[in-house]
Amino acid sequence: MSLIRKRAPLLLLEAVMLLLSLTVIVPFLIMIFGSLKTGLEATAFDLTLPVKWMWQNYKQAIVEGDMVRSFVNGAVITCAAVALNIVTTSMAAFIIARKNTRLSGFLYYFFFIGMIAPMQLIPTIRLFQSIELYGTYLSVILIYCSINMAFSIFLYTGFIRTTIPQALDEAAVLEGASLVRLFFGVVFPLLKPINLTILIIVFMNIWNDINIPLFFLSDPDKWTLPLSVYQFFGMFSGSSWNLVFANLVLTALPIIVLYLFCQRYIVSGLTAGAVK
Amino acid sequence: MYSYRLVIPALVMYGLVFIYPTITGFYYSFTDWSPINGILKFSGLDNFKYIFNNDALLLAIRNTIVYAAICIVLKNVFGLLLAVALNTAIRSRNWLRAVFFAPSIVSSIVIGLVFIPILQPEGLLNEFASFIGLGALRQYWLSDTSIVIFTIAAVSIWQWTGYHMAIYLAGLQSISNDFYEASTIDGANAWQRFRFMTIPLLSASININVMLSLVGGLRVFGEVYSLTNGGPGNASQVLSTSVFVLFGEGRWGLGTALNTLLFLIVSVAAIPLLRKMRKQEVEA
Repeated sequence: MSLIRKRAPLLLLEAVMLLLSLTVIVPFLIMIFGSLKTGLEATAFDLTLPVKWMWQNYKQAIVEGDMVRSFVNGAVITCAAVALNIVTTSMAAFIIARKNTRLSGFLYYFFFIGMIAPMQLIPTIRLFQSIELYGTYLSVILIYCSINMAFSIFLYTGFIRTTIPQALDEAAVLEGASLVRLFFGVVFPLLKPINLTILIIVFMNIWNDINIPLFFLSDPDKWTLPLSVYQFFGMFSGSSWNLVFANLVLTALPIIVLYLFCQRYIVSGLTAGAVK
Repeated sequence: MYSYRLVIPALVMYGLVFIYPTITGFYYSFTDWSPINGILKFSGLDNFKYIFNNDALLLAIRNTIVYAAICIVLKNVFGLLLAVALNTAIRSRNWLRAVFFAPSIVSSIVIGLVFIPILQPEGLLNEFASFIGLGALRQYWLSDTSIVIFTIAAVSIWQWTGYHMAIYLAGLQSISNDFYEASTIDGANAWQRFRFMTIPLLSASININVMLSLVGGLRVFGEVYSLTNGGPGNASQVLSTSVFVLFGEGRWGLGTALNTLLFLIVSVAAIPLLRKMRKQEVEA
């Protein structure tokens, strides 16, 4: 009896939560089912299974949406920006974490501004026009790298301070290692867990973004997936929602796959700093 | 032995690409800058006077603040409730945590476009309302100018509540069970335990969640751009989408002034919170 009384509220809670989770699941199902229907069937936007499973929608969305190109654009821009971000911020955070001076304190907060303040978009365009890089992949890579620095430095500094013993540095230097050798040979390999976390979160931030390509890449051939899916929506939402849905599924897919494999690192990164 | 040389690459890039435009932006805000004419003259406060006398831009400011306020309150309240509910011993909790978290990893463009058909007058949301006997609640979610900004906020809450839940869950899991046992012995009921123990012990998570939802809310772009593109008319325009419109119209001085205004609003809202966080960090 007492066991039932103890379990009953939990079972009720579980039922309520499962019901509530439908509000999250249903929109995803509408998208997935819709992507496999005929154009006419898809415009009902309901929760029925496709009458005939139209797998060819995906092929058509890829071809007509020029999705391979956008995928490659996104991959090149994101990978380059993430790599540049990790190398530059981990070095900087190492020094900021080790030095205990006014300057290092100032630098920490100076970089932190980037986490709060919105970037000035039009003056940044002006800057890249004046150095003749506006509209290039390189400009977008530099921007993504810079606007994600605050987050990376914040996480790296915390990790280095709490996890990497300073005695290690001293031992390496005694053995004659230079600062650069010390950092890349000894410290950087020890940053592996936080490297993965930062890699994945910065990757997701950049991959999902639409703001920067909208302002900085006027040439549609250079667009990334989120921007090209929006364009695709504008062209096809009148007649072929099934193709729009297929395009949406494919746009979300790489990030969902990444999430499934790296769930642990994503959650630990998001929650770092939240626990004291 | 530690040299600031290793800071230089990051500092140069960040200084050039982020800080330099932020500083020059203040200057451009006071000019009649355009892509065709460049800067013809220093126009003082003209851009700001224009902003505060223009109904569409005033509405964008109002929308931004309303949107951010709703998001801060509801993302945190719902996120915390979800976290508490999923910190219990229910069997499907791992699955449920993953499900609620999932929307936050997908681009807001994808989420926005998926919700467009759901929010149509004959869309799933209205049909569902009728189905459960709440047909009176049917709305023109995206075309009624008086509610559209709330609709967009609701979609954003749908997307991000699970993210805030994850941060609250981490906070909850760091609270030792001993506290609860002691207080139960002392005769505290569930609400008292939540109000006087859980909430204070979660202050670090609350701070970071409020900060993230505040900054995210004020800087919102993708959700508005994909769901309505600021429409109908200018009814759901926010600050960052208005900057984009002014950019497209070639009114660069004015657009930069509006961007500066966003910068100031974010700073005014975030600095007190940052101070509080720093103070607590020192005390902890």
